[in-house]
Amino acid sequence: MAMKTEAIGSIIKAQFERMLSAGCSFADARFYDEDRYQRVVLYDGNLESNTSRYERGIGVRVLKDGAWGFAATANLEAIPACFDRALANARAAAQLLGFQKDMGPAQTIKGRYRPPVERDPFEVPLAEKLEFLKGIDTRLQDKTVAHRYVGATFQRRRVNYQNSEGTEVDKWVLNTFGNMMVMTPDKQGRTQRRSLELYGKGTGTRGYEWLTDPDWFSGHAERIKQELAQIVAAEPLPPGKRDVILLPGQGFLQVHETIGHALELDRILGYELSYAGGSHVRPEMIGKLRYGSEKLNCRSGVTDNSPGTFGYDDEGSAQRDYMLIDKGILVGVLSCRADLAEANAKAGRTIVKQSGTATRACSFYRSPIDRMTNINIDPGNDGTLEDIIKATKDGVILDVPVSWSIGSNREHFHFGCEIAWEVKDGKRTKVYKNPTYQGHTLEFWGSLDMVGDQSTWELRQVPNCGKGEPNQVMELGHGIPVMRFRSVQTGEKE
Amino acid sequence: MLESRIRDLLLAARNSARKKGINAELSLHREKSSLIRLGNSSVALSTFEELTRLGVSVQDGRKVGSFSLTADITSQEQLQSALAQAHENCKAALPKNYDPIFGTVEEAVDDSTGYDPALENLAPEAKTKLCAGVVKALKPKGSYDFSGSWSSGSAEMYYISTANDNEAYRRLTDSRFVMVLKEQNRKWELSVERTAKRTGTFTAEDVAAEFAALLPMYEKNEGFKTDIGRQRVMFGPQAIAELVMLAIWGGFFGRWFEEKRAYTSSMKSGDKLFSEAVTITDDPTHPDVFGMPFDFNGKIRRSFSLVEKGIFRGVLYDSLTAARYKRQPTGHDLENWDIVLATGDGPAGIESGRKLAADALYIPHLHYIHLPDPTKGMFTCSSRFNAMRLEKGEFTAPLFSTRVTDTSPNVFSNVVAIAPDSVTVNVSSTYGQREPTAMSVPEYLVCDNVRITDVADSF
Ligand SMILES: [Zn+2]
Repeated sequence: MAMKTEAIGSIIKAQFERMLSAGCSFADARFYDEDRYQRVVLYDGNLESNTSRYERGIGVRVLKDGAWGFAATANLEAIPACFDRALANARAAAQLLGFQKDMGPAQTIKGRYRPPVERDPFEVPLAEKLEFLKGIDTRLQDKTVAHRYVGATFQRRRVNYQNSEGTEVDKWVLNTFGNMMVMTPDKQGRTQRRSLELYGKGTGTRGYEWLTDPDWFSGHAERIKQELAQIVAAEPLPPGKRDVILLPGQGFLQVHETIGHALELDRILGYELSYAGGSHVRPEMIGKLRYGSEKLNCRSGVTDNSPGTFGYDDEGSAQRDYMLIDKGILVGVLSCRADLAEANAKAGRTIVKQSGTATRACSFYRSPIDRMTNINIDPGNDGTLEDIIKATKDGVILDVPVSWSIGSNREHFHFGCEIAWEVKDGKRTKVYKNPTYQGHTLEFWGSLDMVGDQSTWELRQVPNCGKGEPNQVMELGHGIPVMRFRSVQTGEKE
Repeated sequence: MLESRIRDLLLAARNSARKKGINAELSLHREKSSLIRLGNSSVALSTFEELTRLGVSVQDGRKVGSFSLTADITSQEQLQSALAQAHENCKAALPKNYDPIFGTVEEAVDDSTGYDPALENLAPEAKTKLCAGVVKALKPKGSYDFSGSWSSGSAEMYYISTANDNEAYRRLTDSRFVMVLKEQNRKWELSVERTAKRTGTFTAEDVAAEFAALLPMYEKNEGFKTDIGRQRVMFGPQAIAELVMLAIWGGFFGRWFEEKRAYTSSMKSGDKLFSEAVTITDDPTHPDVFGMPFDFNGKIRRSFSLVEKGIFRGVLYDSLTAARYKRQPTGHDLENWDIVLATGDGPAGIESGRKLAADALYIPHLHYIHLPDPTKGMFTCSSRFNAMRLEKGEFTAPLFSTRVTDTSPNVFSNVVAIAPDSVTVNVSSTYGQREPTAMSVPEYLVCDNVRITDVADSF
């Protein structure tokens, strides 16, 4: 039987009372009244994914004697039992405890968040979506293209968050993702590819209308086809040290992997070591570490239109905009309330004063962990992409990741990209295929010497950031300008 | 067999679809999962999830639509609504230009042999106690922290279709334990892993002893920064599992093979691919793996040879790729395969293996492996836990983080020795649903000419 949303709200409130009486210092619940997902993919014109998903359930956390217990169920008749299970879990956890977790000063928040949407994708008929994708597929067809792919993913979640401090947040999540790719073998018979993901400028709305705006998606179909033809005819990037100009389509992943993940406080504190890894950053470095050159300004931003903007995190804290790296110095981290005291104790001084409002869960059946928000690089004052090219004697422009491999503490990295354009004496000359580059995080960011202006700044969506145990996939954003790095190791020697 | 309350509902839904002339496949996944997450020598979080997921796929000629639901399944009304949703998706679908393969359960399966109720219900207290035992046994000093995770639980998988009356059912339990010991100042990390199908297969003392054996090397020696270039490497079990997965990913997916995106695309069955010592099989009957008996197109899974004594045998086709390229599906409409890299005739045990390897790098774990160029089988990754330098057959120093960028054909064509004993490596991911997956690999693999492309100044 579908249980009424209001009834569930009052059942949850009664459980908070019960948990506090049982000695818990804090309890919260995320009720997902609806979690919908849809994915449609045309592969060589064939509808190879045509699926939708619906989930409904509740995830609850309790903090008892400084330890967390979590439990989740889709059986909404069993909410009291779910709290009991979370309590039993917390009790078991408390038997092996070093630093006691606490939520810090109590806060009571009443909040509501709705993402900016003109047309809810779940109100758009499937036939209309397929007709739109078919139109792009037709444009991707060409005798020079061996295989083509175009797909879209839609998400809508209606979440009610409550906690024992009286906070109540009514939040919707709505995401629209699109991607297209063309592939064809090169002279050696090895398939090359060129692709594009739906992107933007961080403004506007994020409903179905974003996908159908040609500026951010369909309008690029011909361009990626032409660039694929150039890649296929190109030589591999010769190995060597040269300047690297990252377009936002590659820069977002550089930021994601070597800044974003490294600045998640749970990684810094060692809670992710057995799976995702740790961080080269230690708590005492916050406020002191030179992370990059003076050109590097990185923030956890509240961008108007991005999957990394969610109004309130999964502790009910209102999302803040704050600096992570200020003129190259590390000044902030991505955090939740419950880890602040531990970070400060480890650092031996106050390094984080308030929550980074960055704790989120991917579904009702996962517990919130520190996640990236919008990890943005502020635009610089080194002009347009053309200005940066003009100022470059020997370099390559790189776009769109093919592969990424990062050291377990995010201290070094290796990336492969779809395309490279050689830059010689201030001019874009030719295309290279199979470009790769590698480096060490602090040295690499230290070599950042040009940052493009607002005209180069783009909002890139990440629909699939993986982390945590049990594993969670999260959506987030990166606002990134064009960036130039000096003397980077590029290409493969053999 | 699946609990009758739910089974009856599913069978009734299948029958009603049949009556309406709808071709439908129904699958159910139920799990009980619990996990403790360790950090800073504490159990930072203890979780429990009990979830039921229903999947419905409807096919009408060349049109297919599907729908899934995560909810407690209590009524026929829910099933009918899910069926109607999948049917709607199917009606609106664009027809494919080939005939999709409709799921049909080849033979009835009812398999609970891998199910241990004690493991399904393993209490978080028992896990906490074992972890506390490890911490206590090692009595680590102030700058040492333990972290890790221990996931355990059960999964039930059930699959039927309107094609016939057969039912395929499978229930199993699994456990994956990983404990990491980190030294906070020098930042090295050691790891001990255990995988199990039943309770009681390891103790705090075992785990502590394995850490204790590794500790002196890391405590007493500075990190070693190796040279960039080609070197002999002795890989340990977790690293071997990663290398085999990458070799499969880049070379054995039917889709990639057909579309010239695999390093095997120009090959045919019978061509020489790797060293003669290399045999890779997807073998659900192997006793060390979890052994999935059927796939979600209804095919009975049988042992499938990918590489036999270095010879390329064939690639894996899911039903989608098989239909499109007019091949036979190979039982790979699922995530959890049962990959086995055959053991070899090298000397038994790590100690004998390292004497044979002599001067080499010992890399038992790889981190963040990825494929910059699958058409060459090129992969890149870096060393992680428990890695050491080998000189004259002895471990002499812990390794700083070392990047390996090479190709699968090169690594598996330069095999020096393969251990005679196997180790089970749990490679389950817990994105989405619980899918217990393990690989059986030799205890070590020694290869020459492995390409080292970068070394950090830290672990
Ligand atoms: Zn990520």
